[in-house]
Amino acid sequence: MLRKSVGLMMSIFILFWSSTVWSKVYIDINAPGFQKYPIAVTDFKNIGTTDDRENLSVWFSYQLSRYLKLTGFFNVINKGAFLEDPEQAGITIEGINFSDWSTIGADFLIKGGFDSDGKALSAEFRIFDVVEGRLIVGKRYEDTMEKRKLMVLKFIDEILLALTGERGVFNTRIAFVAKDRDVSEIYTINFDGTDLIKRTRLESLTMFPQWSPDGRQIFFTSYLNGNPDSYIMNLETKRVREVTSFRGLNMASAWSPDGSKLLLVLSRDGNEEIYVKDVENGGLRRLTNNPAIDVSPTWSPDGSMIAFVSNRSGSPQIFTMDSDGRGTSRLTYEGSYNTSPSWSPRGKRIAYEGATNGRFQIFSIDDDGGNFVQLTFERGGGESPSWSPGGMYVTFVSTIDGKKKICIINSNGLNLRVLGSPGRSFSLDSPSWSPRLNLY
Amino acid sequence: MKRNVWIVGSLAIICAFVFVFATGCAKTPVVKEEVALQEGESVIATAETAPAKVEEKEVVAQPKEEAKKVVEDTSMKEKELWERLLAEASDFKNRDIYFAFDRYDLNAKSRDNLTKLADWLLVNTEFEVTIEGHCDERGTTEYNLALGERRAEAAKAYVVNLGVDIGKVSTISYGEELPVDPGHNEAAWSKNRRDHFLVYPSKK
Repeated sequence: MLRKSVGLMMSIFILFWSSTVWSKVYIDINAPGFQKYPIAVTDFKNIGTTDDRENLSVWFSYQLSRYLKLTGFFNVINKGAFLEDPEQAGITIEGINFSDWSTIGADFLIKGGFDSDGKALSAEFRIFDVVEGRLIVGKRYEDTMEKRKLMVLKFIDEILLALTGERGVFNTRIAFVAKDRDVSEIYTINFDGTDLIKRTRLESLTMFPQWSPDGRQIFFTSYLNGNPDSYIMNLETKRVREVTSFRGLNMASAWSPDGSKLLLVLSRDGNEEIYVKDVENGGLRRLTNNPAIDVSPTWSPDGSMIAFVSNRSGSPQIFTMDSDGRGTSRLTYEGSYNTSPSWSPRGKRIAYEGATNGRFQIFSIDDDGGNFVQLTFERGGGESPSWSPGGMYVTFVSTIDGKKKICIINSNGLNLRVLGSPGRSFSLDSPSWSPRLNLY
Repeated sequence: MKRNVWIVGSLAIICAFVFVFATGCAKTPVVKEEVALQEGESVIATAETAPAKVEEKEVVAQPKEEAKKVVEDTSMKEKELWERLLAEASDFKNRDIYFAFDRYDLNAKSRDNLTKLADWLLVNTEFEVTIEGHCDERGTTEYNLALGERRAEAAKAYVVNLGVDIGKVSTISYGEELPVDPGHNEAAWSKNRRDHFLVYPSKK
């Protein structure tokens, strides 16, 4: 009930704001109760002189449809429902009869053309607002055939940018831990579920993978020397170097947005406290000073604040403090057990896991404590959230068929997707979303 | 606890001192003879004749055999004793102590187990213990790693308070990583919220 009125208020606010700034706001990615937009994607037209040997006509529409579905914002209309005669119709606004599309319920329409001699490729993409009968955005890309997937992804980015204000995240990966019996290793997988790669072969317990802001390294904890020590691995060279190996816990927690500092939890002084370590000169500074358990620190996107978990008030709750350790303030008051904070890259919201009805689910809250919303309602629960760049998605852990799996959900709680796993015997945990990478 | 050790130690030293002093004064002649026996070979070389040598040899031979048998018996007994101790040490693996959800305080049964562990370690000082702290699967890995450490440290503080040398007690947390029961219900979870004890001979 509270959610509906909050959502309504948010939508009204944004519409009002948008009439003075944007021409039209299509998709408010945070509004709860969002419905997927019906979109039609036609086969591309061969606008060149060479025969379409690679069947690019169908390839482009198929790939676009696939990626549009993966974004979680669109319902792609089945081609069988199309009314338009593709021979007659054009790919620019003049050659389109929009009533053919509004009749079948499409809100958006994608048309395109290509010209290729088998090596070079020129491709045009256009997305139209069917209701208003106008072009939203059009692009032409000229490159080689090998780059055709990149062209599709670039245009998807343009669509999302125009409709939601944020680029897509197809050029990101999620790192996570996969455990079988008493050995766990770090893996990465692409946002679209492809390219599962095993990154560590340490044959021990390995935990808490954290990406560097340039996407080249991963900070993590491992028992490879018999104690939970912290390490950094270079993904290109595969070399692993030790960061801290103090007596007790060395929990890798987060890499600062500017890449200069690491947050960790050490218990060397007798109880679990949060420390910050300078990457360059190795200097270590303690930030918390409290006999309670203080763990799971994470930076705000501008690096000025830290959210963390403490049980100093009797049960585990989320707190925030300045990046120098001052100004500690409690954030969560609902629920008896709130852990695992992750700060949205958009800066205003913090996702976390909270105990409710006997299991854990993902919640999000404003970074000043307001607008508390439950994001997941899965039977298998939701734990360990991590935001995507741009804040459109959250990855988290849910138990499915008795095993922990990595899932992705839109930031409004819709469109749950389960990512792949190295095998049925593995239990997955600790997902961490990469920055934007050079994947394509 | 430390004061007791000091008192006992001092008494022991005093007793030993008195004993040595007393025996030393009375038995000086015996010491001289024993020395003569050991130096048998070199004494023969100088003054004594062969028969004396033979006699000495016979006299020496017998104690050696008896000594050898005594030594063999002793080493058998020592070996058995050691194996028994190793078995007792290993048995502590079956005596986990348990905790309530999100808690690391010790209940009466836990304190009882820990007292028995401390008593054993105080007697068998060649052994040390590693206390592993564990949690059930609920909640985040990070928080559970910290909670597991609290559980291990609570047990360590208890046995150290009973006099066990702090250098002989180490702790490690495995959080929720190594459950004994992989089930997803309270029956399994309650078995996983535990401290586990590995008792083993100290490395010299």
